[in-house]
Amino acid sequence: MARNLMRFTGVGGQGVLLAGEIFAAAKIKTGGHGLKTATYTSQVRGGPTVVDITLDDNEIFYPYANDGEIDFMLSVAQVSYNSFKNGVTLGGTIVVDPNLVHPTDEDRNKWKIYEIPIITIAKEEVGNVITQSVVALAIANTMQKALEKDVLVKTMLSKVPEKVHAANIKAYELGEKYANEAMGL
Amino acid sequence: MATREVISSGNELSALAAADAGCRFFGGYPITPSSEVMHEMSDLMPELGGVCIQMEDEIAGVAAAIGAGMAGVRTMTATSGPGISLKAENLGLAQMAEVPLVVVNVMRGGPSTGLPTRVSQGDVAQAKNPSHGDYKSITVCAGSLAECYTETVRAFNLADRFMQPVFVLLDETIGHMHGKADLPTVEEVKAGIVPRKSFDGAPEDYRPYECAHDQPAVLNPMFKGYRYHFTGLHHDAKGFPTEEIETCRKLIQRLEDKVELHKDEIEYNEEYMVDDAEFLIIAYGSVALSAKETIRHLRAEGIKAGLFRPITLWPSPQDRMRELGQKIQKILVVELNIGQYYDEVQRSTGRLDIEGLFKVNGRPISPYEIVNKVKEMM
Repeated sequence: MARNLMRFTGVGGQGVLLAGEIFAAAKIKTGGHGLKTATYTSQVRGGPTVVDITLDDNEIFYPYANDGEIDFMLSVAQVSYNSFKNGVTLGGTIVVDPNLVHPTDEDRNKWKIYEIPIITIAKEEVGNVITQSVVALAIANTMQKALEKDVLVKTMLSKVPEKVHAANIKAYELGEKYANEAMGL
Repeated sequence: MATREVISSGNELSALAAADAGCRFFGGYPITPSSEVMHEMSDLMPELGGVCIQMEDEIAGVAAAIGAGMAGVRTMTATSGPGISLKAENLGLAQMAEVPLVVVNVMRGGPSTGLPTRVSQGDVAQAKNPSHGDYKSITVCAGSLAECYTETVRAFNLADRFMQPVFVLLDETIGHMHGKADLPTVEEVKAGIVPRKSFDGAPEDYRPYECAHDQPAVLNPMFKGYRYHFTGLHHDAKGFPTEEIETCRKLIQRLEDKVELHKDEIEYNEEYMVDDAEFLIIAYGSVALSAKETIRHLRAEGIKAGLFRPITLWPSPQDRMRELGQKIQKILVVELNIGQYYDEVQRSTGRLDIEGLFKVNGRPISPYEIVNKVKEMM
């Protein structure tokens, strides 16, 4: 596998950090290398947050995604979308929550933009807004085919409390379903 | 070396290392981007029968840690640059009274409160001289997740060997990045612990500060029947204040010489593709990760570049830098400050034609920025 660079962006407090840690840990479990870095502002809540996830079979040195090389970005906040979209390679994939992020027509010519109501899915279909990071994880993995689903789900379950395992499995399944539908599969 | 694989962040690995190295006291006050060190210590210390205490401020945090060091316990505090500024006076006391202590500094942008959540290497000069007066700083700097662990372990051993504070510099990138670290086993770490020296003769013969000109004080733990005195004033063999001319001179000269004359026990560097290098990058901490990626790009284009990475920043590896400066014409120092180590490289090599690439906006230096600078210099 070549290097896989993904970027999750949101605002502080949405749980995008955990999704990055799960990806990195799952890749490491398969014998590869995974790194997660996060940058955020000193605002307690509401500041733009970006998580870069680098997955590679070979050793990774520089832990951030270089602008212009990112294959996949997921965004659940307009402020973060605006700040970080230009890091995505031309023709790359961007997933946004259409209730929160409104890409321009110009953006749609540059990138493959999919609209999936991530927060609504977590809140209404799973019944727990916190699971949005797992919905996002499933969407990213389904679109990027980054890792075997089983490894990723097992790693995810090892990082969330047991009482919410069922909800998170449901969140993953829904994320996968919506991602496939968005891609017309 | 047997290894174990741990998936974690740099800050958490530093705390784990402290616990494995026998640290049983943490005194501090949480500050971004170092807070996870204290979070982790607050879990680990009670489990191991140790103490983790959040004090009322940065000053009290280091004071408590120094107190534990006086009592004979392996002890640590963690902070960021603004915290070191506040702790400076007490760090001077620990240098003067020769109290071993590990100080983890996860660097953020400065001066003052600066950029709390952003990366910087702005505390390199501060680590050399955080307090007034003459003494010799021992400062190590982790350049990978695994080193956040191994360098913290080494810092504890150096602190007990040289009886003084030892700085572990991490930066925000290294402290917060999350991934795999191949670590030595706990048994191996424990086997490498050399406890600080103690005096077991008659209490009336005990002279803790009467030692060879290049050796640290021998401080028995308090409350064991050996009476002596701790002070920040110039002091005599039993630690009591004195202005006796020769005693004062010898004391300060010894603080310098106990480190300066044993640099070989402290110096530690990495050389990456240096053997045939025609272009040398000097970088440390997270910037060295970017530099290694840079070297991959440059080598793929046929440019023979290499990296020299000091892991012990202070005392600096000046002899090795001088040798490299005589061998390699083109040298570039890359750091997240405006040349705090560049000055040391110039001094060590005696060369003023060395170039620098510096960044101080709280953002990391990308490999492409370094590649472009190298090509400009070719």
